[in-house]
Amino acid sequence: MIEFKDVSLVYPNGTEGLKQVNVHIQEGEFVVIVGLSGAGKSTLIRSINRLVTPTKGELIVDGDDVLQLNNKQLRTLRTKVGMIFQSYNLVRRSTVMKNVMAGRLGYTGTWKSIFHLFSNEDKRLAYENLQRVNIEDKLYNRADELSGGQQQRVSIARVLAQQPKVMLADEPVASLDPPTSHQVMKYLKQINEEDNITTIVNLHFIDMAMEYADRIIGMRDGEIVFDGPVSQVSEQTFEQIYGRSIRDEDMRGGMKGA
Amino acid sequence: MHKSASFTPEGLYPRKTKLTITISIVIVSTFYLLSSIMTESFLLDLFIKMPNVFGLIGEFFPPEWSYLEEIWPKLFETIHIAIIATTVAVIISIPFSLLTANNVTTNHWLYQAMRFLLNIIRTVPDIILAVVFVGLFGIGAFSGIIALIVFAVGILVKLMSEVIESIDMNPSEAIRASGGNGLQTIYFAIVPQVLPQFISFSLYVFELNIRASLVLGLVGAGGIGQLLNKEINFFNYPAVSTIVIIVFAVVVIIDYISGKLREGLV
Repeated sequence: MIEFKDVSLVYPNGTEGLKQVNVHIQEGEFVVIVGLSGAGKSTLIRSINRLVTPTKGELIVDGDDVLQLNNKQLRTLRTKVGMIFQSYNLVRRSTVMKNVMAGRLGYTGTWKSIFHLFSNEDKRLAYENLQRVNIEDKLYNRADELSGGQQQRVSIARVLAQQPKVMLADEPVASLDPPTSHQVMKYLKQINEEDNITTIVNLHFIDMAMEYADRIIGMRDGEIVFDGPVSQVSEQTFEQIYGRSIRDEDMRGGMKGA
Repeated sequence: MHKSASFTPEGLYPRKTKLTITISIVIVSTFYLLSSIMTESFLLDLFIKMPNVFGLIGEFFPPEWSYLEEIWPKLFETIHIAIIATTVAVIISIPFSLLTANNVTTNHWLYQAMRFLLNIIRTVPDIILAVVFVGLFGIGAFSGIIALIVFAVGILVKLMSEVIESIDMNPSEAIRASGGNGLQTIYFAIVPQVLPQFISFSLYVFELNIRASLVLGLVGAGGIGQLLNKEINFFNYPAVSTIVIIVFAVVVIIDYISGKLREGLV
């Protein structure tokens, strides 16, 4: 599904974001990428839909090398790859409905979208996806009237409206409190299982990574320093990834039994 | 452990600061005196010539109310000029303000070229624009409209591009990440963020255009300013004072309405 072959990325200021990364992610996997901030987690995830462009290597997503795509092909790829952000990235002044419909833009012609001429199926799809994350009663509320957790659920509905094959989540719970964080992660996990959407999540909380991941990839200084199923992961693994001992701040808490 | 006060500070500011201030005052007053002498205009004249001023003001009263009949058509012409000019300017300024915002126009050369063009437009005063267009298109409302469009586009684009540059770019990233193209990103992520400001600025420019179209009339660009100019030249001061009173009332009313509308927006 997603394959990194010797992918490197050097930012214009000379920072090396990725160094010779090789990863193969199967369809339907729930992968959590862990690492300290600056380790290259975001760079890795944003390379997949080319919000950042790797400078070397090959990056195959759903059969295409994303580094070779022209603008139109890139937009087609992006419709297949949904993304959830740390700061939700909703348009705060627009309604929940309009924000979710933004997920259909890649499938809709420019003029049709400007005159809001979305098909009835698209509108129904948007509503169904809001129902899936239990926020359909806020349909016509403005996004800035919602709490952080609610906004993140709307952004999940927006991604679902894309009917993606891959879902990327860049620190989706970093701005949320522990109970809301678990709620959001549960929705992601549920969607991953029910729709078989390949899901890649960046997290820096060890306990959350352990609870939700099938597979954990550890990054440090732009390199992959661990890659294995969650059953192989122990506290020592994290100490090895982080290059230091585990601290309280590496835990989100709020888990059942914790 | 008291230290003996062997040092008495000279004042509230160090000597160097005082010297700087003194020199600045001397320089500024010299410039003032020089300017006064060169232009042969002294503030004192204001008081010496006061009797003339009062004499002239006397001639403006009482206003000639029967003159109102002639004012209305020209007054509406002024308002029409402002409405047409503002509407056209607003439409023109949408693409231009996007092109002069560096977060939308990422091509450095295009961005710089657009900024340069708009800076040039803004440096030309509205009255000069009117003189030029009256020369090109002849006396009348049309020249005034064109002049005001250029004037309003300059202001609107400047204000709007700064608003666009200050928006949150994260939603645009989300729209791009979901496969939206450039226009869709602008329409779904940028427009909702800037729309209230944009409408507010448009109303503000409408107010400016009402006032500017009065002045433009003086050089023959249509509207009530043209009437004002005529009556001043005929020394028909009672009519002039009627015009001034009406214009004052209209400007106050329009400013009030547009101010209230803008309050409701932001």
